[in-house]
Amino acid sequence: MPQNYVPIFIFIAVVAILIPLTLGIAKLVRPEKPEKAKLMPYECGVDPIGDSRQRYTVRFYIVAILFVIFDVETIFLFPWAVLYKALAWFGFIEMMIFLTILIVGYVWVWKKGALEWI
Amino acid sequence: MSAAILTLVTFVPLAGALLMMFFPRRDELARWFALVVTLLGFVLSLHLPLHFTRAASGFQFEINIQWISSPNIHYHLGVDGISMWLVVLTTFLSPLCVLISWKSVHERVKEFFILLLILETALIGVFVSLDLFLFYFFWEASLIPMALIIGMYGHERRVYAAVKFFLFTMIGSVFMLAAIIWLYARTGSFEYTAIQRAMQSGQIGWEAALWCFLGFFLAFAVKVPIFPLHTWLPDAHFEAPTAGSVLLAGVLLKMGTYGLLRFNLGLFPEQAREHAPWIITLAIIGIIYGALVAMVQPNLKKLVAYSSVSHLGFVVLGIFSFTQAGVDGAVYQMLAHGVSTGALFMLVGILYERRHTFEISEFGGLATPMPVYATFFMIIMLSSVGLPLLNGFVGEFLVLSGAFQAKAVYGILAATGVIWSACYLLWTYQRVFFGKVNRDANAVLPDISARERIALWPTALAAVAMGVAPLLWLNAIEPAVRAVLSPLAQMAEGLVR
Amino acid sequence: MIQAVDYIRVLPEIVLTLFGVAIMMVEGALPPRASRKPLGWLAFVGTLAALAATVYQAGYPGMAFFGMVRVDSFSIFFHFLIAFIAALVVLSSFEYLDAQQIRGGEYYGLILFGAVGMVLMSSAVELVLIFIALEISSISTYVLAGFRRRAPSSIESSIKYFLLGSFATAFFLYGVALIFGATGSTRIYMIAETIQGGKHSAMVFTAVALMFVGIGFKIAAAPFHVWTPDVYEGAPAPVVGLMSTAPKAAAFAVLLRIFFAAATPGWFWPVWISAALSMTLGNISALVQDNVKRLLAYSSIAHAGYLLVAFAAARDIGISAAMFYTAAYALMNVGAFAVVSHFASAGERYVTLEDYAGLGRRSPVLAATLTIFLLSLIGIPITGGFFAKFYVFSAALKSNLVWLVIIAVVNSAIAAYYYLRIIVLMYMRDAREPAPTVQNVSAPLGVALALTVAATIYLGVLPGRVLDYASRGAALLVR
Repeated sequence: MPQNYVPIFIFIAVVAILIPLTLGIAKLVRPEKPEKAKLMPYECGVDPIGDSRQRYTVRFYIVAILFVIFDVETIFLFPWAVLYKALAWFGFIEMMIFLTILIVGYVWVWKKGALEWI
Repeated sequence: MSAAILTLVTFVPLAGALLMMFFPRRDELARWFALVVTLLGFVLSLHLPLHFTRAASGFQFEINIQWISSPNIHYHLGVDGISMWLVVLTTFLSPLCVLISWKSVHERVKEFFILLLILETALIGVFVSLDLFLFYFFWEASLIPMALIIGMYGHERRVYAAVKFFLFTMIGSVFMLAAIIWLYARTGSFEYTAIQRAMQSGQIGWEAALWCFLGFFLAFAVKVPIFPLHTWLPDAHFEAPTAGSVLLAGVLLKMGTYGLLRFNLGLFPEQAREHAPWIITLAIIGIIYGALVAMVQPNLKKLVAYSSVSHLGFVVLGIFSFTQAGVDGAVYQMLAHGVSTGALFMLVGILYERRHTFEISEFGGLATPMPVYATFFMIIMLSSVGLPLLNGFVGEFLVLSGAFQAKAVYGILAATGVIWSACYLLWTYQRVFFGKVNRDANAVLPDISARERIALWPTALAAVAMGVAPLLWLNAIEPAVRAVLSPLAQMAEGLVR
Repeated sequence: MIQAVDYIRVLPEIVLTLFGVAIMMVEGALPPRASRKPLGWLAFVGTLAALAATVYQAGYPGMAFFGMVRVDSFSIFFHFLIAFIAALVVLSSFEYLDAQQIRGGEYYGLILFGAVGMVLMSSAVELVLIFIALEISSISTYVLAGFRRRAPSSIESSIKYFLLGSFATAFFLYGVALIFGATGSTRIYMIAETIQGGKHSAMVFTAVALMFVGIGFKIAAAPFHVWTPDVYEGAPAPVVGLMSTAPKAAAFAVLLRIFFAAATPGWFWPVWISAALSMTLGNISALVQDNVKRLLAYSSIAHAGYLLVAFAAARDIGISAAMFYTAAYALMNVGAFAVVSHFASAGERYVTLEDYAGLGRRSPVLAATLTIFLLSLIGIPITGGFFAKFYVFSAALKSNLVWLVIIAVVNSAIAAYYYLRIIVLMYMRDAREPAPTVQNVSAPLGVALALTVAATIYLGVLPGRVLDYASRGAALLVR
């Protein structure tokens, strides 16, 4: 059934044509006045201090990762919510097991001190 | 009794080894125990020739039990006139090996005797297995203890020699394994007789059979060793401790020639016939080459090792002559060589224990300080040369007459080998034992001890007995050989007609 | 609808999860300085319970959870194997963690969670579920690989494994998507029906190739093997024992299901080539290694190659040969790594071949044990490795794969050399000065070693029962 993929290929082709086309037209139409200030990170005029790629504390990563984990897991709640009636008790129990495991993870994270900022 | 006897003979040494593992670390105890076990094995194995029906050609004392159902592997043991004597040879040499290692092995003694006993079981197993799988099993199993004996108890370059020995044999035998598996895949059986029947009924194509023949041949040729695959042998012999050399020369090499006879001839007679010319050529090259290299060896142990290459050439020649006399002689030569070369290695080892060198130039005039030793050496050396009334003669004579029957050129070329061997052995004897004692260390060498005497007497007696009354052995060998040769004889008749 | 029996059919997974969760909870409650040994014992009990659950489960074969899980002799075989490996690894970890001064109950929890994934991989018959199981097992092993947190090599190992591993699973997922596109199902037996009914489109072939890439990575088959030596070198030794066996066994189970149960076409030549490449590259590279863990890593690549030979053989005997090989290989490799982990001591100091010199004299029992495993890896009779090779070769010869067998035979001769080198070093060389100290073997490790040795010899002397069971599983697999 490769023909089912035809729309995708059309889409790819459209993208491949459209982007260079619009960029090219813009280049032709717009006024062009190169200036030093335009190359700066902040056009408001404030000079950047130091390198933007500096190290910052690992805590941010941990918080970010934990957020992603617990946030993404909630996605699984949506299909359950939609099919709540159809799945009935089976769905409910399964979901509770799922949430229990999630909570165990949460407790572990808590106990390990990953939620404390210091 | 008759059903269990082969199992007993095979596994008594192994049982001894297992028991020994739980022994306290007392060297004297290990020595005595190993001696008792090997002697017990020998006594048990005497049951075989005493109760063997000499006129019959088939396998005797058979035992056949299913071991593994898929693949269909049987615990199938049995001996015919050929393998029975090889079993007895093994059990005969083993106690002597224990005796000869009594003092020369003084480190990790217990382990040494454990390895020796395991090796004995593996060697006997090779000769009594009638199931190809079982055969391969023992064949490989013999490899490890031997490599360890060389590598742990040998001389300076022992590791190199052990690894070389292991790799040569291993590479050869994987091809045999492939051939065995292939035969199993085609015939659905590992049983020697079943496969033989399948081969005879033409169930397997000529081409395929040829590949299997070559697979087996490669494994055995490495083991014999047939020129040019012999290079591991001098190293292994030279580096091995005395007992290792004795079993290596006395029994391990016979595994190769036994395999050639049992499998290459027994299973693939047509292919053997087709390919005999170049194999015989290699054998004759081996005979002459081994003898010539032995002649120029400055080193006593390497000399004996190369003489093995030469003598084993005779065996291969005899086997591939396809004549009754030739094959009889080959089998007889296997036994004779086992006894006499085993004894030669023991003698060389005794000398090494005293002087810690194998260089011939280090010796001279030893007959004066060691008269008894010199006498033993004389007897054994003469048997190796092939003096009538000693064991070497019978084998070589039969092989040569077989070779003449097959093709006169073979006989003539091989006969020169006998002359060469007389040259180098007698010359060596002269250099080592006669003349003046020109080194102080040699003047005070003690003659052989009672223990060494006990180890040497049986070999000397066997050498004489086998030379005087060969029929005692040959009447069991002949029917078995006739059975091996019968398909070849039929083929020859077919060709004549 | 869901019935009670459905839960029995995932009982080992449930049991392992419960124990894993319990370990995580207790770990959180324990004070940071307390010993984590009790958690290890809890994990060990968990694996034993999983073994018992597997035995119990064997009485209830059939499909579960809307035909996504299938319990039959095939999956029971792998369940048992994986739970057994996990038990052995837990046993051999106690002493190792002490020596490395690693304090983390999560270690045991992760082993159990990993085992959940592997067990599920071998019983799942639905590709998406297989993928999820694959991820569960992979993520646990990624973390385990980096458990020697203070050693940079361990971190490197973990990150390499993670990056390449996720890349590979993406391939697998892509293959799943394509096969769904081609056949309209992700259920293995439905796919089989569609494929047998109709013609094979190019998409199916692509899908099979992509899935083979994904699984090929997990089993470390060439040309997807490059990660193996680095990862094995850095990861903690008992973990390598685990990840070179259990996930591999599970991945082989998946591969067997995809190739044989789903009857997908077009895998013969890729497998043939991959088998030949794995054996040759693995063995030749192993020849020049002087780090034991790297050596065993290359050897595990080579063994994956031998195993793939069985895949290329005819289905009835090939499958059972492959199953037997996985079991035999797993046992000997876990054992070998248990010895390596014992000998490595603090900071994994002693892992070069030189360190093994004279081990035969300094600690004869340990050396003899390692020798048995190495002989089994070579394929010497009376060890499981011999029959494993034997079955594979005979299956291949029966299917007339003469060339592949010749390559395999030549390779096993080459392989003998480098395994032998270790034996030679242990017995025939003197230790360098100062000799590495060898601690006494602790009781749990001793039990693990005794079990692996016994199992290796059992498979080498009486392989019949295991092979029979594998054949039954194989027969059920192809239906």
